Amino acid sequence: MSLQNFNEVVDVVVIGAGNGGLTAATQLALSGKKVILFEQHNLPGGFATSFVRGRFEFEASLHELCDYGPPTNKGGIRKLFEYDLGIDVEFIEISEAFRLIITNPNEKLDVIVPFGEDTFINFLEREVPGSEKSVRNYVKLGKEIISAIKYITESEGNPDKKKLVKEYKNFLKVTPYTLDQVNNALKIPKKAQDIINAYWCYIGIPTNRINFTFYAAMHYYFLIRKAYFPKYRSHGFTSALESKIRENGGKIQYNTKVEKILVENRKIVGVETSKGDKIQTNHVISNVSPTLVYNNLIYPKNEVPEIAYKFVNARRHAIGCFVVYLGLNASAEELGITNYSYHIYESTNTEEIYESFKTLNPPKAQASICLNNIIPDCSPNGTCMLTITAFFLNDAWKNVKANDYFNVKSRIAENLIDTFEKATGTSIRKYIEEIEIATPQTLSRYTGTYYGSAYGYETDPWDSFMPRLMAMADEKYIEGLEICGGFSANCQSYTNALLSGQIAAFLTIQDLDKKEESENK
Amino acid sequence: MSDQEKKLNVSIKGNIRDLLAFKNLVSDRKKRIDNASNKPINFYPIIGLAQKLHPKKQYLLVSDIIDETKSTKTFRLIPDPNSDNRNLAYFRAGQYLSLKVQVNGVSITRPYSISSSPSESLEGFYEITIRKQEHGFLTNFIWSNWKIGTKIESSGPEGNFYYESLRDSEHLVGIAGGSGISPFRSIAKEIVNGNINAKLTLLYGSSNEEDIIFYNEFKNLENKYPDKVKAVFILSCEEITLEGCEKGLITAALIEKYASIDNSSFFICGPQEMYNFVEKEIQKFNLAPKRIRREVFGEVKNIINYPGFPQDLAEKSFKIKVHIGDLIKEIPGLATESILVAMERANLAPPSKCRSGECGFCRSFLFSGKIYLDPNKDLRRSADKQLNYIHPCSSYPISDLEIEVPRRL
Repeated sequence: MSLQNFNEVVDVVVIGAGNGGLTAATQLALSGKKVILFEQHNLPGGFATSFVRGRFEFEASLHELCDYGPPTNKGGIRKLFEYDLGIDVEFIEISEAFRLIITNPNEKLDVIVPFGEDTFINFLEREVPGSEKSVRNYVKLGKEIISAIKYITESEGNPDKKKLVKEYKNFLKVTPYTLDQVNNALKIPKKAQDIINAYWCYIGIPTNRINFTFYAAMHYYFLIRKAYFPKYRSHGFTSALESKIRENGGKIQYNTKVEKILVENRKIVGVETSKGDKIQTNHVISNVSPTLVYNNLIYPKNEVPEIAYKFVNARRHAIGCFVVYLGLNASAEELGITNYSYHIYESTNTEEIYESFKTLNPPKAQASICLNNIIPDCSPNGTCMLTITAFFLNDAWKNVKANDYFNVKSRIAENLIDTFEKATGTSIRKYIEEIEIATPQTLSRYTGTYYGSAYGYETDPWDSFMPRLMAMADEKYIEGLEICGGFSANCQSYTNALLSGQIAAFLTIQDLDKKEESENK
Repeated sequence: MSDQEKKLNVSIKGNIRDLLAFKNLVSDRKKRIDNASNKPINFYPIIGLAQKLHPKKQYLLVSDIIDETKSTKTFRLIPDPNSDNRNLAYFRAGQYLSLKVQVNGVSITRPYSISSSPSESLEGFYEITIRKQEHGFLTNFIWSNWKIGTKIESSGPEGNFYYESLRDSEHLVGIAGGSGISPFRSIAKEIVNGNINAKLTLLYGSSNEEDIIFYNEFKNLENKYPDKVKAVFILSCEEITLEGCEKGLITAALIEKYASIDNSSFFICGPQEMYNFVEKEIQKFNLAPKRIRREVFGEVKNIINYPGFPQDLAEKSFKIKVHIGDLIKEIPGLATESILVAMERANLAPPSKCRSGECGFCRSFLFSGKIYLDPNKDLRRSADKQLNYIHPCSSYPISDLEIEVPRRL
């Protein structure tokens, strides 16, 4: 079908229609650049998608968006969608943060954690008397961190060092450290730390490795802006972005895998795809990880500098997710599923739980959501959807053979359902009308992510967003290449991935405009 | 900043050391990167298994053809030795393959349930069992063209018509007609292999004895594993000589006679006419939806009989402007034929798998125009309904259209 092939010159090729690739392509199209987006799957979104089984439309991966915010206190993502990209998508506010359940009898805990700065501080003071002062400092630090990030962003990466030291000194001082190190220095009582730490499964490394700055910024956004969820699942905004790209003259091609990024003298000159497209371009924005770009895409291979391999090998691929999607034929109310979000941990020892991600034993952590508790009509009357997410480090699955795979999936799903039932005192097993189970293999199948990783590279203090951003210019090994998405300098999460695409687009537009200027001279 | 905020002065390891640690973030990072391995990766464990389980394409070859009945053949498929395809993807009993067939230079796809077992795929073959349709343009082609050695391109295993112990009852009632027995043969084999912990009661309808597929096989299984497999052959003809048959149709009374209505899961697979009948019968039991699973049966015949189809347009043909890759082409499309079929006729090689609106693989964007689809089988995502994305395999043109269709994999 040679007539269907593309053979043309474009300003930018975007590889991958995940969150970052979509916002990148939308921004480029809106800025009048000629852009083509190639996606190997047949849908937009990457992880940010939904799927239909029987009477249910399941969200694939999103639990909640951080930094969206109400109309009166718009966050970065709401501004991105409403002002910059102009998509009109309905979002629902989530009013309570989560229910935290620790099942270990020695540490037994079952609390509903609220949003709001003061509400959160007062809640912790009630749960852990004497914690107020230290927790207030934790929240204050979160506030200083986001002001500092805002200042650095506005300075376009060239902040005045004196001003940083003067106004954001605490931000500078905590940024090299972990969540545990800083919270211990703040003298936050252990039990209060355990509650503060409950989002750790969203970062995917234990609290003695999570970068404090990264965590506290996310947590502070949650406190002041609450969490939000797109009414029609992630597919609601990813398909809206897809339409926006098309409306503005951008092209999207599905079922098309980029096979080669052609490079000459360390500069991008073109792209070739599995469908035989040959595109001339000097700019690629990759939603595909640097690991796969340098190992598989750059062509010829001798254009990959040694340092690029070191750059990717120094990093660690983060955890993958294991998700059980349940369509239940009774309402959440009937089943006694009263909350939207459940964080259920066997213990507060995050290191020990992280270690357990390396085995296929019954999972010790799960983050579960019941969408009907924020969007009552998201499934038919008298039904509800419960999604249970657990985590694995890729190596756990390396010995699983094809003919064991389905049994392993079912067994782990059963473990997770049992844990949920015991922890919440509910009974759901006999109400299962639809069940789908996704593993790290499933994530790889649909997105191509290496090692089934859902969270990009792990964000230890040395590889969190500040060192990534500060080293970004030095870590550009191929001219014309920008990375967006969960593996980018912005780090993982929906929020960061969505924002990273726009940043990559702006950097590319800057280059294109500079080139145009110098050509005009 | 307010006074209260200015007071905060955090120190982790001492003011100077903390600031120094910040200053050293980049150089420490550089050191880590410098000390890392400079080797390319050559190990893809997760993607590897994912690709084994879900290959985008499988290159197969017909290794044997077995005549099952006068009008039914089983085709045994093995990996094409001249391709890179060494192993067949493992699957769940009940799943299907979407086969790509070139008919007179036109490339079309058809979903066929796998009638062999998952264990047999590990031994190196799949089987599919096809009944020849009287006026079926594809089955006629297959009958005269598929020989031992014919190469066939297939998808990976697809579909959701499989037994799941966390959801389904241990009492599984299969209701089948025609070649709809295929997935139940796979499921039965998997049950007796001990890989599915359930009992299968199969109610299989045929119009006469000659048309029964796998009679002996199911009888043998039943004799060998009486507590695991039971097969009842229901014949609509007058004369019955075979053992284990019932006369008539698969009525509610007959289902009740063989199945425990209250604690069984019902799996239905067969031609459209059978569904039309069985659905009405099963409704009498007022079962919860979770207890009934249906295999999709490909495109519907006689779309004009479905609710809300604009009868006045039934004879009409419309212009469909198709954007596919870099090609824009205007093709004709009948109101009574799916957009997918119109595109296949025009040899645009659009993507498709289930051909029933379920899998969403052909998801396309409708720039303009109106389509009809069966309102009871609109399986699109909610956002797609709002934003005008359609599934061409289950959408019918009822005005001139302009659509953007993805290229095939």
